Amino acid sequence: MKLSRRDFTKIGSKIVIGAATGPVIIDALVKKAQASESSPDGDYDWNKHYWGYVVDTTKCIGCGRCANACKRENEVPFDEPVYRTWIERYRKLKDGEMKIDSPNAGIDGFTDDIPEEEINKAFYVPKICNHCENAPCVQVCPVGATYTTNDGVILVDFEYCIGCRYCIQACPYGARYFNLEKGTADKCTWCYHRITKGLLPACVQACPVGARKFGDLKDPESIVNKILDKERINVLKPDLGTKPKVYYLGLDREVR
Amino acid sequence: MQPHLKKAFTLLAIIIIAFIFVRSIAVPDSFGEYGWYRGDSVNELRNQPVEHAGSQACSDVDCHKTLYSIWSESRHKTVNCETCHGPAEKHVSNVRIMPEPANDSRDFCGLCHYKRVARPGEFPQIDPVTHGENLRCAYCHNPHKPWFV
Repeated sequence: MKLSRRDFTKIGSKIVIGAATGPVIIDALVKKAQASESSPDGDYDWNKHYWGYVVDTTKCIGCGRCANACKRENEVPFDEPVYRTWIERYRKLKDGEMKIDSPNAGIDGFTDDIPEEEINKAFYVPKICNHCENAPCVQVCPVGATYTTNDGVILVDFEYCIGCRYCIQACPYGARYFNLEKGTADKCTWCYHRITKGLLPACVQACPVGARKFGDLKDPESIVNKILDKERINVLKPDLGTKPKVYYLGLDREVR
Repeated sequence: MQPHLKKAFTLLAIIIIAFIFVRSIAVPDSFGEYGWYRGDSVNELRNQPVEHAGSQACSDVDCHKTLYSIWSESRHKTVNCETCHGPAEKHVSNVRIMPEPANDSRDFCGLCHYKRVARPGEFPQIDPVTHGENLRCAYCHNPHKPWFV
């Protein structure tokens, strides 16, 4: 059999392409078949937990230790005005106007810059990512860099995020910010590195008055479930259908 | 088969194969392991170092047991050690690394205890102008075992 140079190149390149792609396709098929309901790491089964958070606005004293602890725990750029959690102060003036502010998230405290006589009522509202069951930020991510874990936490993949900021626009609660140091979107993780080790999120641990509670919604004995069973609760912007998992006690109708 | 069709199908086949090949290189191995995201990133986030050890860690190996027992029966028992003393996980794992000194300024205590309109009324608050003659709070009040004067 005599092979022309043209035929030899033709057959040769077919074999090379076949040899290169064949295993890749087989590999992809095999991996797809193996994909299971398993948990990322052995000692923590994320299918056994579903986390929830309760904020008691009637207890909050606005000390800002939660926002401070959060920044220290998670290396959020400390001197930049970006926060994973923050405290808002609502002051309803006697003339009916509502004043809302959050100077440096409350980390440096609040000062009474409006005289007490002019204020009808005033209170603090701690804010945090709501880890929505139906999260808009996850829906809009074009590359799959933000996702919901099986235990109900919304995370950002800092290696994979392309920094398009679409999720920051999508969040109706303003819970996301752009991290200039990482060049990615960033947000509260409910201290995923802590809760998967049995610790509390840094903000919950830091709160001196117990205004922040964290627990497992799958555990009927957890503090969060006990509050949800007993108290009258609300969530932020329920009309949006995002199904937040941060539940509020004593939420005023003016709080957005 | 007509030759121009044959050419078109060959080209299509090459494009599909090339796409699968490039995709297999470009998409990380763990992508799609649990969902439409990179499965490895869950563990990467779990491996972030812990900074706040928690108050319990201060009494665990007899280091600050006396102080801990005084604090844990005081009205300040709800205030975590690290709220004033700073994140201490590094100090817990290596005692030679000292945590930052506790902030004992009036303004730091005032973050909780200065009189503010928005605070719940029953929470202990003082007027910084009339109370304490500008002395450090710890001059009269033991922060580990506070009391009302």
